[in-house]
Amino acid sequence: MTIGIDVSSVFGEMVMCSATSDIVLKKMCYLYVGNYAKGNPDLSLLTINFLQRDCKDEDPMIRGLALRSLCSLRVPNLVEYLVGPLGSGLKDNNSYVRTIAVTGVLKLYHISPSTCIDADFPATLKSLMLHDSDAQVVANCLSALQEIWSLEASHSEEACREKESLLSKPVIYYFLNRIKEFNEWAQCLILELAVKYVPSDSNDIFDIMNLLEDRLQHANGAVVLATVKVFLQLTLSMTDVHQQVYERIKSPLLTLVSSGSPEQSYAILSHLHLLVVRAPFIFAADYKHFYCQYNEPSYVKKLKLEMLTAVANESNTYEIVTELCEYAANVDIAIARESIRAVGKIALQQYDVNAIVDRLLQFLEMEKDYVTAETLVLVKDLLRKYPQWSHDCISVVGGISSKNIQEPKAKAALIWMLGEYAQDMSDAPYVLENLIENWEEEHSAEVRLHLLTAAMKCFFKRAPETQKALGTALAAGIADFHQDVHDRALFYYRVLQYDVHVAERVVSPPKQAVSVFADTQSSEIKDRVFDEFNSLSVIYQKPSYMFTDKEHRGPFEFSDEVGNISITPEASSDIVPAQQYEANDKDLLLGIDEKDENKGVSNNNGSAYTAPSLESSSNITSQMQELAISGPATSATTPQSFGFDDLFGLGLSTAPAPTPSPPLLKLNARAALDPGAFQQKWRQLPISLTQECSVNPQGIAALTVPQSLIKHMQSHSIHCIASGGQSPNFKFFFFAQKESEPSNYLTECIINTSSAKAQIKVKADEQSTCQAFTTVFETALSKFVSLTFDFVSLCY
Amino acid sequence: MIDNGFPLTTEPSILKEMIAPPNLVSKMLSVVTGNASNVSDTLPSGAGSCVPWRPTDPKYSSNEVYVDLVEEMDAIVNRDGELVKCEIYGEVQMNSQLTGFPDLTLSFANPSILEDMRFHPCVRYRPWESHQVLSFVPPDGEFKLMSYRVKKLKNTPVYVKPQITSDSGTCRISVLVGIRSDPGKTIESITLSFQLPHCVSSADLSSNHGTVTILSNKTCTWTIGRIPKDKTPCLSGTLALEPGLERLHVFPTFKLGFKIMGIALSGLRIEKLDLQTIPPRLYKGFRAQTRAGEFDVRL
Repeated sequence: MTIGIDVSSVFGEMVMCSATSDIVLKKMCYLYVGNYAKGNPDLSLLTINFLQRDCKDEDPMIRGLALRSLCSLRVPNLVEYLVGPLGSGLKDNNSYVRTIAVTGVLKLYHISPSTCIDADFPATLKSLMLHDSDAQVVANCLSALQEIWSLEASHSEEACREKESLLSKPVIYYFLNRIKEFNEWAQCLILELAVKYVPSDSNDIFDIMNLLEDRLQHANGAVVLATVKVFLQLTLSMTDVHQQVYERIKSPLLTLVSSGSPEQSYAILSHLHLLVVRAPFIFAADYKHFYCQYNEPSYVKKLKLEMLTAVANESNTYEIVTELCEYAANVDIAIARESIRAVGKIALQQYDVNAIVDRLLQFLEMEKDYVTAETLVLVKDLLRKYPQWSHDCISVVGGISSKNIQEPKAKAALIWMLGEYAQDMSDAPYVLENLIENWEEEHSAEVRLHLLTAAMKCFFKRAPETQKALGTALAAGIADFHQDVHDRALFYYRVLQYDVHVAERVVSPPKQAVSVFADTQSSEIKDRVFDEFNSLSVIYQKPSYMFTDKEHRGPFEFSDEVGNISITPEASSDIVPAQQYEANDKDLLLGIDEKDENKGVSNNNGSAYTAPSLESSSNITSQMQELAISGPATSATTPQSFGFDDLFGLGLSTAPAPTPSPPLLKLNARAALDPGAFQQKWRQLPISLTQECSVNPQGIAALTVPQSLIKHMQSHSIHCIASGGQSPNFKFFFFAQKESEPSNYLTECIINTSSAKAQIKVKADEQSTCQAFTTVFETALSKFVSLTFDFVSLCY
Repeated sequence: MIDNGFPLTTEPSILKEMIAPPNLVSKMLSVVTGNASNVSDTLPSGAGSCVPWRPTDPKYSSNEVYVDLVEEMDAIVNRDGELVKCEIYGEVQMNSQLTGFPDLTLSFANPSILEDMRFHPCVRYRPWESHQVLSFVPPDGEFKLMSYRVKKLKNTPVYVKPQITSDSGTCRISVLVGIRSDPGKTIESITLSFQLPHCVSSADLSSNHGTVTILSNKTCTWTIGRIPKDKTPCLSGTLALEPGLERLHVFPTFKLGFKIMGIALSGLRIEKLDLQTIPPRLYKGFRAQTRAGEFDVRL
């Protein structure tokens, strides 16, 4: 305001000046006072007087202005002067003043929450929100209340209830019925609120959708997107309606893409991409909307290419690939590369790739270095998936001179093909020999690694022609300064020395075609991003916890559960061994075939583990009944992983056959204690025992989420009341009850997974049996390891 | 206007009332009176009304309302001369200077061709749903009443036929531009621009109509204007490639520009504009215009 110069020294004079009747001057004075009051808390007392007087002015504009400035002083010891003017401001007959008073309450809350609550402002705001005629006042009330109550909710049950009540049916319908009166900003606020509403039945859902139908035709993109989010979230449970929603939202979103600035197009396209990944069919007929226009910026084009890949299916592949091929000759090199990659991706998704392969091979004839480079990488991937095309591809690839290829990735791909199809390419050994002779000039370690492997493979197929080249390669490799190259060369050398046939089986075993390439993003992450529809998460393509600091997460975020998403037991069980194998294969870029052998071994191990748990199935039924009884308590803590973890519990309690001597203490499997009582007891009782024990590191490795341990302890009749933390530190509160009498044991357990240590604090009603309980607890904890093994056996 | 991070109002008409945009009169006034502020000293009255977009009771000596149909044609023509994509994005722009609280109804002769509409908040939703008429209380001054798309058009008014042959380091290029289907009005300001590929070292282009300019960043613009009756405009010339290159591998994309006054190419026609209460000295004006949006012709 003052070009960075500190003018706080004239504070006194400015206060005098504020008595002016000129409104423009008054505004400037207020602005000054608001800016410098924080630095001069003593002097700002002077301003109170005239601000309070102005709050009673006849002109509503001055009343509002004075009230806003009064609340913007933000000096803690002046809050007592705020309550009166705010109270009368909330009752003012002019809506402008009320609007400002409502925001003032929020400012007051941030300076001094207790003053705000004591004056009962939240309740006033609530009645104002439900009864005021002015939409802006209502909107401000809503945003202020949301903020106040969600900050209060952490320590006040009443605020928690009030916060819930915002999501009650009457309140939501009240807002939705009035939504047309609000400005765009407030409409978005209401729509955000509606997303959180849990409808009672399908009629409820349809009512809301009917109320909001016309919002989809609003001129404002933010309102449209927020409405789309409401529609999508409401119908998640109704599959057929969900499909209709996709149909309905399609054209508004497409219009938003084609009108407006490139930045807006980009944002909307990101959302469309998210939708199309969830439901590829929806845009299958509208693929032409994603054709790139010449003048669009590259970032939009890139996203459009991704869309084209995503919407490609049997019916439109031909057109899309034709279009993509036109981009390959584009002036924009980055886009040309992307479009070739897109063609490759489509080829990998599709069943009928005949035509696409032809096109790719045509790219190779274009004689542009970047086009050739990209195409080679793609042809390599295609050959891994469709070995049957090798004949056509190899004949074209064989014609490419390796001298024209500079990019390491492309070179590596070409070398891989030379090695893999050495028998079909007459001059493969000689090309390799040439490349090996230029070993010194090859700067990329990746290419050198591939050269080694290719020379080996070629040697097994055409030994006489390759022997000399292989020798040179191994010598150069062993002398290489790069550790990996050196190690691999040495390994090849020794394995050849040991037995050539073993070497062949290690380096060049018969391969099966890759059916699916691993997806880079897990479905959990995608679901999470979908939940955060209409936010930056979609643009970044990752959920908010990955790019926001903990303290900046919104008040509605439950931070602890967030970190666990990607590593829940269900997630890992989804990955079937075959896919892991492929993922591995892809990462290592085909060279290290010995990995396959290792994988095979671990697969065998896996199946070996399954055997015992199958044998023990006879015991399972009895255990099942037992667990079914303790079921309700379990589901309360961790509903999402209930069914699956039960299986662990079963395997676990039956599998370790030589159980140590029966526990001295019988615990009640159906113990119950409510959190309040636990807290009270924990405060009252003295610590009867503190102990540190080490936990089996293998078991602890599986402790990526608290739930796994909770389930485990439950099977030992030790129940969890609260848990938290993230790897490597977890904290649990457990309780247990004696079977015969209501005597409680409370335990705090802190586990550090990196040092594999657990700290236990035990408090007990009955001091005498405390030691016995600790023994039981530790035994249970030490058995946590067996769970991992059962878990592994279930995976494989 | 933002208070505590929360916007107080986002309505342009109210904001304009609060702080008047500078214009010639206010500048003159501030020079003469020495009062240099555009800040109003009264609270905008529309802030509390049920039509926040409209200031209460504006007064005009002559009442005028203008409706403009402005359409943009986006199209892609591929290498084989096929129309890959052709659609129109249109807007209904209005300028209303009406006294009091007018209630307007705008109807189209053929609303069924419209694909996806988006409305200004003033448009009532139900009348559109049931009868496809736009019923609204307009904001004051200029505003965008609605926008729409019309898909799957079969024809473009202008054709572009580029040809390129390359042989031993030089390319011959020729581009023909002509009228494909006469829209009934003159097609004006036809331009064709394209980026010469990087590998072109020099270009020698000439045309039998209009002017050709090549800028230093290798952007070539051919300004045609109107198409003459007696001949077909043709751009021709040679491109010299950089040494070592035999043929051209990267092809330019031609961007076509044109403007047609007096017609909306989508075929949308305004039927009538009714006012519930007709103010004295009312003047209603309608215009239409189509221009090229993103019109790409690939080679």
